[in-house]
Formats: sequence, C-alpha cells, structure tokens
Amino acid sequence: MLESSVLFSLRLSFQVAAVATFFIIVIGVTVAYFLAQRNFRGKELLDMLFTLPLVLPPTVTGYYLIILFGRNGLIGKPIYAWTGWSIMFTWHAAVLASFVVALPLMIKTTRAAIESVDKDLINASYTLGHSEFETTVRVILPLAKRGIMAGAVLSFARALGEFGATLMLAGNIPGKTDTMPLAIYSLAGSGEWSQANGMVILLTFMSGLFLLFANKFSKGTI
Amino acid sequence: MGLSVHLRKKVKGFNLDVAWEINNELTVLFGYSGAGKSMTLQMIAGLLIPDDGFVRIGSTTMFDSSKRINVPSQQRHLGYVFQDLALFPHMTALDNILYGSNNMGKSERRERAGEMIGAFHIKGLEEKYPAELSGGQKQRVAFARALMRKPYALLLDEPFSALDNPLRIEMRQFLRGIKKRVDAPIVFVTHDVAEAYAVADTMIVYSNGTILQTGTPKHVFENPWSVEVAVLVNATESPQIAY
Amino acid sequence: MRIILVALLLTIALPFLATELAVAADQQEIIVSAAISLKNAFEEIGKLFEGKHKQVKVSFNFGASGDLVRQIEGGAPVDVFASAAQKDMDEAEKKGLILPDSRVNFAGNSIVLIIPADSKIRIQTFQDLGLNQMGKIAVGNPKTVPAGRYAEEVFVHFKLLTAIKEKLVYAEHVRQVLDYVARGEVDAGVVYSTDAMARTKDIKIVATAPEDSHRPVIYPAAVVSKTGKQGMAKAFVTLLASEEAGKVLKQYGFKAPGKNTRQRL
Repeated sequence: MLESSVLFSLRLSFQVAAVATFFIIVIGVTVAYFLAQRNFRGKELLDMLFTLPLVLPPTVTGYYLIILFGRNGLIGKPIYAWTGWSIMFTWHAAVLASFVVALPLMIKTTRAAIESVDKDLINASYTLGHSEFETTVRVILPLAKRGIMAGAVLSFARALGEFGATLMLAGNIPGKTDTMPLAIYSLAGSGEWSQANGMVILLTFMSGLFLLFANKFSKGTI
Repeated sequence: MGLSVHLRKKVKGFNLDVAWEINNELTVLFGYSGAGKSMTLQMIAGLLIPDDGFVRIGSTTMFDSSKRINVPSQQRHLGYVFQDLALFPHMTALDNILYGSNNMGKSERRERAGEMIGAFHIKGLEEKYPAELSGGQKQRVAFARALMRKPYALLLDEPFSALDNPLRIEMRQFLRGIKKRVDAPIVFVTHDVAEAYAVADTMIVYSNGTILQTGTPKHVFENPWSVEVAVLVNATESPQIAY
Repeated sequence: MRIILVALLLTIALPFLATELAVAADQQEIIVSAAISLKNAFEEIGKLFEGKHKQVKVSFNFGASGDLVRQIEGGAPVDVFASAAQKDMDEAEKKGLILPDSRVNFAGNSIVLIIPADSKIRIQTFQDLGLNQMGKIAVGNPKTVPAGRYAEEVFVHFKLLTAIKEKLVYAEHVRQVLDYVARGEVDAGVVYSTDAMARTKDIKIVATAPEDSHRPVIYPAAVVSKTGKQGMAKAFVTLLASEEAGKVLKQYGFKAPGKNTRQRL
C-alpha cells in the first residue's frame, strides 16, 4: 500500500499545507487585527474581498489566480520577464492556491477571537501607559490565543484538502505537484481504486482529528 | 494639583455638557445610571474624545479642542479602576501589578511593588490568578496596579458595584485609607447615596448629561437646589432607572 | 431591503424556469460521450442528426476518453461512446459496457508538436524538445488521455523520454494541453492536428509526428450496452461511419480511419 508515489504525495501534501499555514497565520492575524481594531473607509469591502475565496467555487478562485500569476498574467508576466521563472506547475503554486482558499478561515476566526477580548482590558492597558503595539502583544493576542489556534488548525486542514484551485495552478504532475487530493483524483480516474484507498482513509482520519482539535481549542478544553 | 474639566459630547441623542473643577480631594460624581458619569471619566482618561472642551490636571493640559491638544491616554499618567476591575485574567496578581509600572527602573519597580503589596495586604497572593482571588482581594490588586506610578489623578468607575453590601461598607474605610496616601484628586463615580455621603469631600450631582448641583454631601443633602436633586439624594435605595 | 430579497429569489429561481422551458414535450434525447478532440466536429454532426430525426435531441458529454469510460462504468446514462483510442474502447468492451457488434472506426488523426505563437525558442523537430532552452512541455496524462499515450509513444520512438521526463506537465485532457500552449504557460505541447487547427491564432505547428512513431490514431464509436434507446443510438453510430459525417470530419482535419478497422492491442 505504501508505494513511493503515495509516500511522495503524503509528504508533499504536508509540506504544502505547512508552508501555506505559516503564511496564513502571519498574514491572517495581521489582517484580522486591523479589521477588528481599526475603523477605516472601505473596511467592510476589504472584509468581503478577503472572505470571497471562502464562498467562491475553488475553480473560480483558481481562474483569478491564473489571470494574476499565469506566465502571461498580471503579476506572472513581469516575474517571468525578470527571472525566467513561472509559478505555474510548481509546488509553490499549490502553496499559493491553499493559502488563498484557507486564509478567510483564519481571518474570520481570529477576528472573532480578537473582538471577544473585553474592551475594558484594552483600555486598562492604555491607561497604564502601554502603547497599542504592546497592548496587542501582551494583552490581546494572549487572550485571543485559543481562537487563533483553532483558526490555524482549521486552515491547515483546509489547505491539506485543497483541490480545485491547486489543479488549475499546479497541475497534476506525478512526483512533482500531485498532492493527496490530486493523486486520489488521478487514481480514481484511471480505475486504480485500491491504490487510492490508503490515502482516502488517511485524509479522512486526519481531517476528523483536526476538527476535533479545532473544537477543543475554541471551547478551551485543551 | 487639582483637576478641571469642561466637556461637551453628543452621542446618539444623548447630550453631555459639564464643567467642574476640584482640588486634591475625593470628589464623587453622583447620579442615576446613564447620566454621563462614566463618560466623563473616560474623557478625562483619554479613552473617549470630547467634541469640545478641555481637561487640565494640575498645570498640564491633557486635552483642549481650541488648541488641538490631545495627549494620548498612555501619556496622561492617570490611575483608573474599572467597574469590572479589568484585571488581566492571563497574568498573576503580581504581574498585573507590575504591568502598571511601565517606564519604571527595575529596582524602583520592585521596591514600589513591595510597597503596594504591603500597603494593600496582598502578601501571599502574588502568584495567584484573578480567577482564584476573592472579590475584595481583586479590588486591592486593581487599586495597587493603578497606583504603581503615583498617578496625577485617580479615576474610579463604580469599583465596588460587584461586591456584596458588607464588603462595600468595608471598602469605604479602604477608600479613606487611599485618600490619605494619595496626594492627588480622586474622582469616584457611584449611584449609591450612602457611599457618596460616606466618602466624598465634594459631591457633583449628575443628571441626564448636566450638573444639577455641586457641594459637600452635607450641603447638598440639607440644601438641594431642585426637587430633582432632593429626590436623588433622599433615595434610600440606589436608583437604577433613568428618568 | 425587500427589493434585494426579491432580486435574490429571482436569480435563484431563474435557472429552474429556463430549463423547464427547454425540455419540450415529446422529445427524445440521446447522450453521446465523446473524446474532447471530437468536440467541434461532433457538434456539427449532432445537428446533422437532429435534422434527420426531428424528435431527437443530441446532448454531448466531452472529456478525456479514460474519464468517460469511468463514468459509464459508474452508471452514467450514456447512449453512445466515442473514444480517441482503441485502448479505451477495448477496456469498455472487456467490461461489457458496449455492444461489440455496434463498434466501428470512423476517423483517424495525426499527432503534432505545437508551440506558443509568440515563442522565442527556435525548435523545428520533436528531437529539439531535448534542448536546454526548452522549458516545460505539456502532454495529456497518459493514464486517462489517449493523446498523452500517443505523445509518450512518439517520445519513446525518438528516444527522448528519459531526457525530457522532468519537463513534462500533465493535462487532464488534450484541449487543456492546447490551452496551456496557447496561454504560454508551457514552451511546447503535443496534441492532435485537429486540435491545432481549432486554435491557429495562439499556436504554431512545428512538426507532425511520422506515422510509424506511434500507434495509429483511430477513433472507434459504439452503442453503450445499458442504453434505453438502442435504435437511435445505432442510428447515430451509423451516421458517424457514413460519408456525410466523413465530409464534416475531414473539414475539421480528421483523416479516414485507415485500413485495419479492428485493431486490437
């Protein structure tokens, strides 16, 4: 059952999800902070834009990503002209696809967590002489920790299972970009069901586990 | 020292327009809930910005709309005790107190913390988290935290409202003790007449965003300037409903 | 607020209303699953068929031949199956998915090497694919796309496979290969000549694979055994093998099926 190609897909999936989740945490927490704590023109529009990949079909998201990062894309073209490198059909594209579709999850959970921090605590910190940055680091984030962790776990799970946008950007290249969902798709498409079994069971089991963890984090029972 | 304010603010149909001046004394802002007392405190602390007016503590102008001065809350050097105390639940009592020692040198910090812990009888509780402390203990930690930096003024927003009556009465003695060690104006918000009467040097009667009367508690009690004031101070129970 | 609600409900309801109107009374429908390289030609042949049989509507389902077999295997209500290679039809026949007597070869094709129209890389033959400046090469996924298998055969013939394996990008069906090349995502691709004809603006044909470098590209069609409309399905397959359809196929660049009609491999 543990063929080298299956092992490769397994390793690749985790690599992609881990890298994507790293960026998701960094950018997600930052964006969530500004959405939660600041008021500015067009805030709700920005929030909607960031949430869009959550409700759009992944293929639509993939479509937009190709327009931006394809070799002739708005951003891809200058990058190609500059470096001779295109993100298409690389595992980096898989990371990009996972990042975009899972980011909204992180932002939503983190924003809710930050907004649930008692405003009096934040005010108390200010009256005691601490700057906004210090207050964020020493009061807000530690208290929002649970929500942030739940968001990270959910994002990781979502990144692990990303298919549609990944297929469009990274393609399904055996030994290069075939993450587990893509590999399962190929195997099922060519009738090799028994080979897909192992990965299907593994993915199901892991997703269930992540959900459990995410719930425990948000309830605070971890 | 002294504290003088003139504050105007309009929020969702509520109009606040108050002006008063006090010395280094314990002044009570007294009135029904929703009369604008907490709002006043927040504006003095810089947590809320008036539409118009000024806030002066001693010779320092913290806010002046005509001169476009607005010192951020962090730099006003005030002590504030919130209604729910606002102790950081994820920090120990000691860390909460030390959080109030921003910009103090290491040894100065330790010395002062020791002083506060002794003065407020918090010894032995340093490593406990707020959730493990009793109501009265939490009070004392909140006060210690607010006084660490020897603030220019102490602002208390109904800090005893969460306590049971017997404890509340005890707290009046506690407050008198604070008055002795703090050489700065203390502004104390409450809607409890007995409490106001027991601790105030000066009483400022609030109603619906304006001031009805100012004076010593005895004076206000014996010479109410209007029927409304009379009703407010003669009430034996803390009034909860806004007029 | 209410206007928004009504507008929302209308947008959701509209597709349902539209489809209701489309299904006329007394109409029979046959579903034809066909290799995607047949798309343009079949759409025209479909209209031909509807012209001859007024109460019949032909619906097409285009995809990679391998995927199509999988769908029929899974119980898809298909009446006719046309694939781009014998292999897939053989598999279908082995699994009893088609009526063996109805099986017929109706077209042929050739394999070409294409590059993006604005490509700056100079290549002239299949062998040039091994050059260093050649970046990614798109081909169909050999597991499910016949064009991918043919491409592999050509590579093996020119002894290129090991050299270029790292550069290969697999597409889900042959039209996607065409798209990758047309968009410039890859430096070259291998498709059918009929596909190249479909998108002359964005691509350039560099070379045609010699006939002996791959198995003959022959398109078989057959009636699906589980069809409920055998009569109509048989009529469609018959039309495919006729001269009339042959003219249409030729227009789109297809060749005649060739002498060996039932080449089992």
